[in-house]
Amino acid sequence: MNIKYDKIKIFFLNPLKTSAILLSATYINLLLLDRFTTLGNASEIYILSVLLISLNTTGYVWGILSAIVSVLCVNYFFTYPYTNFNFTREGYPVTFLVMLTVSIATSALSGRIKKQREFARERSRLAEERQKIVVEAEKEKMRGNLLRAISHDLRTPLTGILAASNALIDNDELINSKDRKELLSGINEDAEWLLRMVENVLSVTRISGGAPSLKKVCEPLDEVFSQVVSKARKRYQNIDLSVIMPDEVTLVPMDEMLIVQVLINLVDNAILHGGDTKVELSAKIIDNFVKISVRDYGKGIPTNDLNKLFEGFVSRDKDCTDSTRGLGIGLSICKTIVEGHGGQISAKNMPDIGACISFTLPITEVTSYAE
Amino acid sequence: MPNSEKILVVEDETTILRVLGTILTANGYQVITAETGQQAVTMASSHCPDLILLDLGLPGMDGLEVIKKLRQWSGTPILVVSARDEEDEKVRAFDLGADDYITKPFGTSELLARIRAARRHANQLAAERAMVSSSYEYKDFKIDFERRTVTIAGKEIHLTQNEYKIVERLARQPGRVLTYTTLLHDIWGPYKGDDNQILRVNMANIRRKLEKNPAEPRYILTENGVGYRMADGE
Repeated sequence: MNIKYDKIKIFFLNPLKTSAILLSATYINLLLLDRFTTLGNASEIYILSVLLISLNTTGYVWGILSAIVSVLCVNYFFTYPYTNFNFTREGYPVTFLVMLTVSIATSALSGRIKKQREFARERSRLAEERQKIVVEAEKEKMRGNLLRAISHDLRTPLTGILAASNALIDNDELINSKDRKELLSGINEDAEWLLRMVENVLSVTRISGGAPSLKKVCEPLDEVFSQVVSKARKRYQNIDLSVIMPDEVTLVPMDEMLIVQVLINLVDNAILHGGDTKVELSAKIIDNFVKISVRDYGKGIPTNDLNKLFEGFVSRDKDCTDSTRGLGIGLSICKTIVEGHGGQISAKNMPDIGACISFTLPITEVTSYAE
Repeated sequence: MPNSEKILVVEDETTILRVLGTILTANGYQVITAETGQQAVTMASSHCPDLILLDLGLPGMDGLEVIKKLRQWSGTPILVVSARDEEDEKVRAFDLGADDYITKPFGTSELLARIRAARRHANQLAAERAMVSSSYEYKDFKIDFERRTVTIAGKEIHLTQNEYKIVERLARQPGRVLTYTTLLHDIWGPYKGDDNQILRVNMANIRRKLEKNPAEPRYILTENGVGYRMADGE
């Protein structure tokens, strides 16, 4: 539809531009005729107009056409006898030939300039496209990595569940009640783990479409934290969890489910990797941001893992003791979620003991309903 | 303790249906089952169950439709079972008259507790109780509806007028989930609209006054994305 319209526009635009420029050139020459115009002047003005036409139309045709018209015009209007064609006067044929050549050459040259301009434009467009493809490929690669890592993480607990349930079915009478209980709680644990993984996968699918698919609603931090606390308590009966909230009730625009997911992942990390049950959850308002931190009192993060912590797969290393429960994915998901909210996430080891992972979320305005 | 209460389990997934059947039977309930919404309505009218455990994601007539149908003639408590990503439907289920919900996947003990609570509320005849009772008490938390005072361990807590209204509204039906919409409507009037922020900020302030640790409320509990409930009994 659009292309067709453009074609029609060009079709009419070229002759329109050509005649407009030629007409004005002739008009200017006519105005100047009495006092100033000599043959040279008139020709120069026409050459200028040919140049303008060549630059402003598509293809060579209009430039060349206008060159011919210009030559005729000069002959007709501005050489004696005026308003009459006469190619026989001495010297003029040479002038006209020169003018025609100059006009055509100008036209051809400007055509080439235009070609080059178009070429350059085309090239930058191509470069842009290539850039887009690279970014897309990068994203695709990340998604692929994530998927691979996730399926690895899904397979591990599934294997456990299958093995344990098979054992229970096949050796029903041979297993004593203590072992049975152990196998069953193994299944239960693995299933819980699967559930967590699936929740992470769900989060990824929700954000992979880009930031617009985030459902941001102002949520009171209090309720976000209390969700995290109750989930964490369910998961870790012996967790020593403390919460520090800002004095004022604070509303933060967020996709609550995803931010809870981030915090749960961070608490999981603190407990499973830090190795200590003491965890602190805190929020602090800094200018237009709220900074939320999860701090543990465990063994800290190995220094060489610190900068690739959020790239995923850290704990997939062979030497990692608990490689079955890799949590690197969790962190890369956290990063994606936080950045999708316009915030930043960072990790550091505390000077005394343990690690602290913090992220920021922008607060557009601090709404207070205090009565 | 055996009881002969009859539970109608509506669930289209046979594995889950079987597991639920096993758990409930083992805990002394009589179990009848339905796999479609249509079947559920028929079973409910022919078997008069004491409680209906209803999965929202049913083929054909969906769970919400079933609630609407049932509520036309039946006051049987309905406990809705929903998946994590069905928050909106959960809210609508409450508005249509569901009594409580439980999110999949859930543990056995949680399920049984919810069933017991729903049965208890049904027996107590909430409406009657709300008329009669002049106070609410849970652990060291007391509300005197006549004197409009709230105390914790004998110490009076000062609440603003709206804060008190919210607390009283919830305490009149302890254990029942009241949706944001219901609370907004009852406290701020019918024109407040759907913006539940003011309610949630008020709640955050109430908790800061009542709860020792507002992040782990003991008296007023949050039902995520749905509303609040006042603690009771169990």
